[in-house]
Amino acid sequence: MDWSHAPAVWLILLPFVASGLAAIWPRRWHPGYVMTGTGALGLAVLGWWAPGLLDGEVVRWQHAWMPALGLDFSLYIDGLAALFALLVFGIGILVAIYARYYMPAHYPLKRFYTLMLAFMGAMLGIVMAGNVIQLVFFWELTSLVSFLLIGYWHQGESARDAARTALIVTGGGGLCLLGGALLLGHIVGSYDLGAILASGDTIRNSPLYEVTLVLILLGALSKSAQFPFHFWLPQAMSAPTPVSAYLHSATMVKAGVFLLLRFWPVLAGTDAWFWGVGTAGLVSLLLGAWIATFQQDLKAILAYSTISHLGLIMMMVGFGSTLGVVAALFHVINHATFKASLFMAAGAIDHEAGTRDLRRLGGLRRLMPITATLALISGAAMAGVPLLNGFLSKEMFFAVTLGSDYGTWVDTGVVLFAVLAAGLSVAYSLRLLVGTFFGPVSLDSPRSPGEPPRWMRVPIALLSLLCLLVGILPARVVGPVLHAAAAAVLGAELPVYSLQLWHGFTWPLVMSIAAFASGCVFYVVTRSYLAEREATAWIAPVSARRVFEWVMVMLTETLPRWQQAVFPARHLQVQLRVLFGMAAGVAALVLVQFAWQVPAPGRIDVGLAVLWLVGSGCAIGAARQAKFHRMTALMLSGGAGLAVAITFVWLSAPDLAATQLLVESVTTVLLLLGLRWLPKRIPGLVRSSPRTRRRRLGDFLIASVAGGGMGMLAYLAMLHPLPDAVSRFFIENALPGGGGRNVVNVILVDFRSFDTLGEITVLAIVALSIYGVLRRFRPANESLGTPHLRLQAKGGDPAMRPAHPGATLPGFMAVPARLVLLVSPFALLFAVHLLVRGHNLPGGGFVAGLAVTLVLIVLCMARGVRWVEARVRVAPLRWIAFGWLLALATGTGAMLLGRPFLTSWHGSGTLPVLGTWHFASALFFDLGVFAVVVGVATLILIALAHQSVRAPIGVVRHDDTEPT
Amino acid sequence: MNFTSDSWIALLPILVTSVTVVATMLAIAIRRNHKWNATICVAGLNLALLSCLLALNVAPQQVTGLLVIDKFALFYDVIVLGAALATATLSFNYMEGYAGEKEELYVLLALTALGGLVLVSATNFVTFFIGMEITAVSMYGMIGYPHRDRRALEASIKYMILSAIAGAFILFGMALIYAQTGTLSFNQLADGLVSGTFAASGLLVTGGALIIVGVGFEVSLVPFHLWAPDVYEGAPAPIGGYLATASKAAMFAVLLRYFVESRAYESALLLDILSVMAVLSIVVGNVLALLQQNLKRMLAYSAIAHFGYALVAFVATGAFAVEAVGFYLASYVVTTLGAFGVIAIISTPIKASDADTLYDYRGQFWRRPYLAAILTAMLMSLAGAPMTALFIGKLYVFAASIDQRLWILVGAVTFGSAAGLFYYSRAAIVMFQRRRWVEPFKAPRNWTFQAGGMAVITLTFLMLLMGLYPQPVMELIKAAGLHAPQAGNLALNVLAH
Repeated sequence: MDWSHAPAVWLILLPFVASGLAAIWPRRWHPGYVMTGTGALGLAVLGWWAPGLLDGEVVRWQHAWMPALGLDFSLYIDGLAALFALLVFGIGILVAIYARYYMPAHYPLKRFYTLMLAFMGAMLGIVMAGNVIQLVFFWELTSLVSFLLIGYWHQGESARDAARTALIVTGGGGLCLLGGALLLGHIVGSYDLGAILASGDTIRNSPLYEVTLVLILLGALSKSAQFPFHFWLPQAMSAPTPVSAYLHSATMVKAGVFLLLRFWPVLAGTDAWFWGVGTAGLVSLLLGAWIATFQQDLKAILAYSTISHLGLIMMMVGFGSTLGVVAALFHVINHATFKASLFMAAGAIDHEAGTRDLRRLGGLRRLMPITATLALISGAAMAGVPLLNGFLSKEMFFAVTLGSDYGTWVDTGVVLFAVLAAGLSVAYSLRLLVGTFFGPVSLDSPRSPGEPPRWMRVPIALLSLLCLLVGILPARVVGPVLHAAAAAVLGAELPVYSLQLWHGFTWPLVMSIAAFASGCVFYVVTRSYLAEREATAWIAPVSARRVFEWVMVMLTETLPRWQQAVFPARHLQVQLRVLFGMAAGVAALVLVQFAWQVPAPGRIDVGLAVLWLVGSGCAIGAARQAKFHRMTALMLSGGAGLAVAITFVWLSAPDLAATQLLVESVTTVLLLLGLRWLPKRIPGLVRSSPRTRRRRLGDFLIASVAGGGMGMLAYLAMLHPLPDAVSRFFIENALPGGGGRNVVNVILVDFRSFDTLGEITVLAIVALSIYGVLRRFRPANESLGTPHLRLQAKGGDPAMRPAHPGATLPGFMAVPARLVLLVSPFALLFAVHLLVRGHNLPGGGFVAGLAVTLVLIVLCMARGVRWVEARVRVAPLRWIAFGWLLALATGTGAMLLGRPFLTSWHGSGTLPVLGTWHFASALFFDLGVFAVVVGVATLILIALAHQSVRAPIGVVRHDDTEPT
Repeated sequence: MNFTSDSWIALLPILVTSVTVVATMLAIAIRRNHKWNATICVAGLNLALLSCLLALNVAPQQVTGLLVIDKFALFYDVIVLGAALATATLSFNYMEGYAGEKEELYVLLALTALGGLVLVSATNFVTFFIGMEITAVSMYGMIGYPHRDRRALEASIKYMILSAIAGAFILFGMALIYAQTGTLSFNQLADGLVSGTFAASGLLVTGGALIIVGVGFEVSLVPFHLWAPDVYEGAPAPIGGYLATASKAAMFAVLLRYFVESRAYESALLLDILSVMAVLSIVVGNVLALLQQNLKRMLAYSAIAHFGYALVAFVATGAFAVEAVGFYLASYVVTTLGAFGVIAIISTPIKASDADTLYDYRGQFWRRPYLAAILTAMLMSLAGAPMTALFIGKLYVFAASIDQRLWILVGAVTFGSAAGLFYYSRAAIVMFQRRRWVEPFKAPRNWTFQAGGMAVITLTFLMLLMGLYPQPVMELIKAAGLHAPQAGNLALNVLAH
């Protein structure tokens, strides 16, 4: 950190600190003082540096900001930066004083000054930036603050639109500039300004030069409101006048010029530069002047004239000649002084007369003579009248055009256009001044005008005085500053130029006279025509603003709407189609890419194939029927499950088959119980349109493709030999390690017993949740009609009526019920058998539990829930708790014996009577699993079955169903 | 596998969050009281956040073959936990007006945070999937929490269906990859890919593609983005904020880790796919955002676009992606949480619908200037304006893609940013219009003193800090970097010419 130039950092911080200060400024003092003071302090610092800066020194200061990106916060203040800083502070003071009296007291002044000071800081940041990224940072900041200043001020619609347009144009330009700056950094290898300025040849010879130039130009042109981005500036005039005077004439719009001057040493001097910058400048110069001639609003005239004058500056920069740079710098100063003065004068007129419309103003020189005099001086400077600063820079401009060296036609054209534009600027200045101050006193103005407050005139007076002083004694007043700034841009190659009023009778003077004369003639001839005119002649139909708005509408309405029509976000199907489409596409691509050979299957087992055809048929049928015939669908899906179970048997996996079979039965029954509460759906109520049918066909195709693809992928994956199959380990270690010959069971209770513990925990939680959810569930009345059987019984035999709700009809399923009753003890015994032998033969806790559940379910179906509940003393919650704790205890037992959690022990031996015994401690674990499964299934069963016992919502119990 | 005490310490954030889930649940069971239940959850999350510091001392730790707790994971742990905390505090006042039982929201919230923590530490497909599903499943519940609200319910169901399908894709992809390679461990997979043991075969590529489809869905990249706007719109505002930030950032962190560690950036095919997705996301996200009159939908589309930008950083920076993407994600999370936070505060307490149409924001500036200013700042950050966090984030993206001369990507980012200016400024300026006659949405007068208000203010300060002086955060991210094949930083890369 170099502290020798520490004031630099204070200088940049000053406006921001002041901005914060203004926000909390006490109510009884006017916040305008903060801004005035800031400007004064800033000028003082500049004055302190002045000797060094004028000698060509550069004030630098830097501090690590983002070392990770190779970025320092660095300040680089040379003559050029100092010149612009001078404008920022100087005009800032005057605007602050002016606004103090211009802004009505009831406006939120603190916010105004806070933003103005923030803008001052951002602008300083641009001109003092020591690396290009920092420059862009502050560049965007000025756009942002300008957005706030234009938009947040008035609650009017036009101001907000203007603010947004300005933000989009300048902010978008800023993005381009960011790209340009990054490219510069990319080419040079550093973002530091010093390094970039030192490598002009590298940049100009880089293949990326054109792109960089275009991007930077886009930034500069949009900021400086140059063609084709000029339309935002007149719109931005809905900001209060001090803002217009400060941002939109003196400082912010000059940032583009600053940028081009800043990069002049590294970018200028090529044909691309000349054509790019020069053309934009020339078109803006003419276009601005032409449109300005046709305006009726004072501020609009000034706005278009600003575009025109900035175009003039751009053009001079674009010539690439050193004299052009000097002339451009000189005109920057001059334009800032006379235009700010004119803006303030226009504001004063608006303030006093209540209108800015030329048609409603007139003869103000009698009512506000001092303001009129001051405005006349600055207006004459704008027109380029001798003895005023505008004249001098215009002379220089003519000299530059005469020095043009780009072929005959271009040279001639440039000179002619320069005279033309100068003539137009004379014409609109005349219109402005004569229309406002001369002629009869207008009786049409909303208020009766008088002189504005004295302190409102002081800034105007100071600026007008400056116009005069510079016009008469240019070398004395601005000579050194201009020299320092030009030297900063041009380095050693300063051109010969002389700042004086009289150069003798030269070609530029001839051009000046010609322009002046033609302007006066044009004004006199068209005076009455223009006074009535609303739109600009010739070019009104193609305004850039309209093009911009058209583009905006295309981009922000038409295109998105089209896109939304193609991909409607509200429909799930679209997303699903996209998902599956992508997957199918990928699969197809891969298939082609890797030229996959799908190996033909070897021997096909006909029986298995038939079984699978039946199974698949069931599955498809289930899907088909799921909408209207849920029961059928459920049965069909049961069929598919059955096919899987048989497959397991076929492939010699009896335990899996048993499990599958039981799971299938239990789930089917449970689903059947739940099915009752779903609302009925009747086919044929809604006729499907051709469109729906088309959609369904599409869905069918997608489903087929996706399903087929998935199936094939799975097939291919299974053909692929597994590199290191885990199953071998289990098969080899089941007996020696786990003491069981049933590998599946050993996996469940030994190798992966921790998982099983987790699973039964989840199972228990699920059951409890189902119980919790259904505990208070009552079906909606409309979801059920009276059951079919009960309907039959209603009118009929009283003996056929159910005794209580939930009871079945007497004699219903009498024979099956007996049979079930007879079979169930054996079934239970079989379940115990399954449990005990499980470790070595097909079986196990899980299967056994399911078997018991099945018995209970069948009993329920045969005898009714109540009957089962009354007789079977299974307290589900206790079973669950017991089983889970037992499983846990088995595991902890191992820990107590010093083994890891859930290690099992097994052993065998012979007993006198019973013969060989074989025992594994995993049996206890299995028992736990068994208990949990039984408990869970019972709980769910009871929870579901109980629904039928409860009355539906909002139904008075019928007399034939007594309360329970 | 033996656990040392260091492994336990490394696991602390995950353990503490798990305990928080259980503790909150038990607290509800003991006594149902919104304030006390929420306090338990917030305290637990804070403890988890603190425990990250302890874990930092022992990082990196490989805990079994499933989780790794390194600085990278801890950095994203902090993001996830921070987002969860902000969401919890915002939800507190927001849920006060909810007629049903409001306490379970905190259980779900802590649970999704847990999923995020598992996700960012995953070193194995199994943990990856589990983390993803924990996040997603608890998210279903949170999105549809006000279950009497049709929009919330619809959002929840849409999210559930699509998320489940995406999960299935990922699962199938994993299976295919496993079938080819026989491993589920990321590291072994990466080693095999780098050393060439696993040749690119059909199975592997298909599996990878399916995973990309699934992950693309989870972070809602175009063309898998269609769910996002509906879900964001339907979800309660604080939950929408969490969905837009933490759960996506965690997913992205996993991608990032394996992108860098497996040197996937050397695969031209993958880079091409990612580039296409990035460009599409940026263009489609921004273009559709232009059309939205609903702030939440707009933020949804802008989130799509922002993950497109992050993907650009991903593609452009290659080995240095951790830094660029990390900073981008961090600033995006802070900003978006802040924006959703303001929406939540303005919608507080919960009503039939949130304040989500732009019309609801008319004149908010004149009523609650500071709140409106915060929302403006957040929107400007999303637009990439200077002094805000995402300006620096975007700078990274720009710098990296220009440096790699990825002109199409540069063009897309530029276009997207310009379009962003348009709609963010529209949303911002609505607040400065004349006030509405009837104002259904007013933030509570004392919002600054409420928990959610403080969270939003903190986020604002953080956002501005990251925009003005990003160095500390950058240092942090760099310290949280992975052991990339070549060490170095972006700056060197940029400057080395």
